[in-house]
Amino acid sequence: MSVSTPKLLPSSGKKSIHDVCHPLSCEEAALTTPSPELQNTSSIGDKDLSLPNGTPVDTSSPASSSSLLNRLQLDDDLDGETRDLFVTVDDPKKHVSTMETYITYRVTTKTTRTEFDLPEYSVRRRYQDFDWLRNKLEDTQPTHIIPPLPEKFVVKGVVDRFSEEFVETRRKALDKFLKRIADHPVLSFNDNFNVFLSAKDLNSYKKQGMALLSKMGESVKYVTGGYKLRSRPLEFAAMGDYLDMFTQKLGTIDRIAQRIIKEQAEYLVELREYGPVYSSWASAEEELRQPLEGVSSCVANCSTALEMLTEDMSEEFLPVFREYVLYIESMKNVLKKRDQVQAEYEAKLEAVAFRKEERPCAPTDVEKCQDRVECFNADLKADWDRWQNNKRQDFRLLLTGMADKNIQYYEKCLAAWESIIPLLQDKPDGKGEMPS
Amino acid sequence: MRGSEILESMTDSGNEEVAVIGNTDLTAADLHNNTNNTMTEEGVPLLKKMEISVSEAEKRTGKNAVNMQEIYTVYLIETRPVDAITEGPSAAPDSLWRRYSEFELLRNYLLVTFPYIVVPPLPEKRAEFVWHKLSADNMDPDFVERRRIGLENFLLRVASHSVLSKDKIFYLFLTQDDGWKDVVYDTGFQAKADSRLKALNATFRVKNPDKRYTELKHYSDELQSVISQLLRVRAKVADRLYGVYKVHGNYGRVFSEWSAIEREMGDGLQSAGHHMDAYAASVDDILEEEEHYADQLKEYLYYSEALRAVCRKHELIQYELEMAAQDLVSKKQQREELATGTVRTFSLKGMTSKLFGQETPEQREAKLKVLEEQIVEGEELVKTSNAECDEYVRNAWIDIDRFKEQKNQDLKEALISYAVMQISMCKKGIQVWTNAKECFSKM
Repeated sequence: MSVSTPKLLPSSGKKSIHDVCHPLSCEEAALTTPSPELQNTSSIGDKDLSLPNGTPVDTSSPASSSSLLNRLQLDDDLDGETRDLFVTVDDPKKHVSTMETYITYRVTTKTTRTEFDLPEYSVRRRYQDFDWLRNKLEDTQPTHIIPPLPEKFVVKGVVDRFSEEFVETRRKALDKFLKRIADHPVLSFNDNFNVFLSAKDLNSYKKQGMALLSKMGESVKYVTGGYKLRSRPLEFAAMGDYLDMFTQKLGTIDRIAQRIIKEQAEYLVELREYGPVYSSWASAEEELRQPLEGVSSCVANCSTALEMLTEDMSEEFLPVFREYVLYIESMKNVLKKRDQVQAEYEAKLEAVAFRKEERPCAPTDVEKCQDRVECFNADLKADWDRWQNNKRQDFRLLLTGMADKNIQYYEKCLAAWESIIPLLQDKPDGKGEMPS
Repeated sequence: MRGSEILESMTDSGNEEVAVIGNTDLTAADLHNNTNNTMTEEGVPLLKKMEISVSEAEKRTGKNAVNMQEIYTVYLIETRPVDAITEGPSAAPDSLWRRYSEFELLRNYLLVTFPYIVVPPLPEKRAEFVWHKLSADNMDPDFVERRRIGLENFLLRVASHSVLSKDKIFYLFLTQDDGWKDVVYDTGFQAKADSRLKALNATFRVKNPDKRYTELKHYSDELQSVISQLLRVRAKVADRLYGVYKVHGNYGRVFSEWSAIEREMGDGLQSAGHHMDAYAASVDDILEEEEHYADQLKEYLYYSEALRAVCRKHELIQYELEMAAQDLVSKKQQREELATGTVRTFSLKGMTSKLFGQETPEQREAKLKVLEEQIVEGEELVKTSNAECDEYVRNAWIDIDRFKEQKNQDLKEALISYAVMQISMCKKGIQVWTNAKECFSKM
C-alpha cells in the first residue's frame, strides 16, 4: 500500500504535495527506512522551518516553484478528476425494536479505487458504528489526527434524541466526519474504513476484527510508559500553544453566539407582542386602519425573518464550534502521544549511552524508536498543515455564511418596510406624497 | 396649519427655522366668545404673523414656595413678527424665559376658558415608558432637550389654532415678561377650574346621551389604552434590540484576540471585528431617533385625555340641562296641584294637608305666586341651558372634526417616518454585514 510517487490528493482544498503512507500506519508491521518523500517534506517545507504557530507560511511570498504549486493546490477548488472517493451520509430512519429504539443513516459511496470491490455502495449505519470506526482509526493510525464525531451522549429529557433538528445536526456532523476521512491521503485507505463503507454486515466484522487485532503485535501499540520528555521541538510546542489559545477563543465565540441567540429570542418575544397592538389600534380607526394594519403585518414579517435567522444560527453555526472543540481535544491527545514516543526514544537512547562499554544490547531497538519518532513527526506535521487549511476553509465558510444569513434577514425586513411606504402615503382620494 | 410642518419643526431641534402661522379662516366658532375670555382686539394681526420658538433651556436655582433651594429648568421663548424678517434677518427676536409650571398654568387656563376645544397637550411631566438605557431623570440633558421640542410644539399648535391663538392671555404668555401670572389669576379662572374639576370627577348619569359624544368618549378611551400599550411594548422592544446589537460588540474583541494567533486568517478577522464594533455602536443612534416617534405617539396619548375632557364637559352640560328641565317640570306640576287643589301624585304636602287640613286661600295664593316666579326663572334657565348645550355641541364638533383630521394626518406621517427609520436601520445592517462578509471571505 505504500506509494512511491507523490500523489495529488482527492479532496476539496486539503491538498498536500506529498502522500506519505507510512509502513507504521499499515497493518503489516514491516519496517522500512523513511521513504524519499520524507526528504521531500523538509525541502518543500521552507515553511516547516518557520512555524511559530504551526500555520503554513504565507505562500504568497516568492520562493520556489514548489511553494507556488502548493499555493495553487491550496486555492484550487475541487477538481473532479483527482477525486476518486465520494461519501455521503443521509436518509435518517428510526428503528424500533423490543430492546431499543435508534436511528440509522444511509452511507453511500462512489469510488473508482481498486481497493474497493464495487464502484458503488449503499449501507445503513448507526452512531455506534461510526464510533467503532473512529476507535479503530485511532488505534490503527495513532500518528494521525482523526476527525471528531458529534457527541455521543445526550442528556435525556433535555434533548430529544429523535427530534428532527437533533437528527439533522447529527447527520451533518457524521457526513462531515466521513468526508474528512475520505479526503485524507492515509486514513481513506484504512481497511476499517473500507469495511465500514462496504460491508453488509458490519457486526460480524466487528467481532472478527477483535480477534485479528490481538494477533497484530505491538508495532501499533504505542505504550505510554510514562517517560519524561526532555525537550519538545519548537514546532510541536507551538502547536500545543496554538491549540490552547484557539480552544479559548472558540469557547468565547461559542458563548457569544449563544448569547446573541438568546437576546434575539427575547427580542422576538417582544416583537410578537408589538405587532398585534397596531392591529388592535387599527380596529378603532377609520382612515388610519389600513396604515396601521400595514405596520402590523410588517412587524410580523420581520418577526418571522428573525425567527429564521436565530434558527439558522443555532442549527448551522453552533455545532461547528463544538465540533472544533472536540477536534482540538483529539489533536492534543495525538500531540501527547507524540511526546511519549519521543520521550521513549530519548530514554532508550540515554540508556544505551550509559551502557557504552557493554555490548550494545538493542541498537535496533533504539533505531526503531527513532524511526517511530520521525514517522510520527512527519505524519503529524502533514496532518497539521492539512488541518490548518481545513480549519481556515471551515471558518471562512462559517463566518461568511453567518454574515450572509444576517444580510438576508435585513433584506427581508427592508423589503417589508419599503413595501408599506406607498400604503402609508396613500390618500383616500388616491393622491400620494413624497416621503419626508 | 399642517401638522407636518409642526412635526418638521419638532424634529429640527435647535434649528431656528420655524413654521409661520398663516391666515386662519374665521368660522362661526371664532365669533363665539366665552364671556370671561379676554380676547385680543380683532384687528391685531401679530398672532397670525408671528414666529415663535422655544430655542434654549437653562438651569436656574431659586427659592421655592416653602423657601427651600431648588434647581429648575427655564426655557427661552423667542418671538418675532414675520414682517420684521422681510426687513432683514438681523432683526432680533423678543424673548423671555418660562418654566414648565408656567406652561402648565397657561394650559389649565385654556382648558377652563375653552372647554369645547381639544386643547393641545404639554410634553410629559415625568419620563414615562422609558427603556432601561434611557434616563428617567428630569434633569437629564436628553430629556430636557426633548421637552424643549415638545414645548415649542405646544406653542405652535396653540398659535395655529383658529380660536386659541386669539386669546390675550396666550399672547401675553409669549410677550409679557413680568407679572403674567398675576394677569392669569386675575381672570378668576381658578374658581371655574375648581368647580369644573369637581363636576368632571363627579359621577352622574345622563338620561338621553348624545350618541356621537358617547362614541367619541369611547374612542378616546380606546385610543388612550392602545397608545399606552404600544408605548410600553415599544420600550421593551427597544431594550431587547439594544441587547442584540451590543452583544455583537463582543465579537469585535474576540476576533481581534483570535487574529493575533493566526497567520493568514488574521487580517480578515481583525477588520471584520471592527465592523462588528461599528454594528454594536450603531444602535445608539437608531434608538435615539426612535424616541422622536415615541414622542409623537405620546402627544396623541395626552391628546386623547383632552378629547375625553371635551366629551365629559358635554355630558355635564347635558346633565345640567336635563336637571333644569326636570326641575321645571316638577315645579309646573306643583303649580297645577296648587291651582286645582288636586293631588295628582303622592306628595308629602298632599299627606300633610289631608292630615292637618288645607291651607288658607291667602297662603295658597302666596305660594302660587312664588312658584310662578320660579317657573319663569326655570323656563329661562332651560332656554339658556338648551342654547348653551346646542352651542357647545356645535362648537365642539367643529373642533373635533378639525382634531380628527389633524390626528389622521399627524399619525400617518409619524408612521411614515417610523417606516423610514426602519428602512434606514435595515440598510445600515446590510452594509455592515456585507463589509464583514467581505473581510471574512478574505480569511
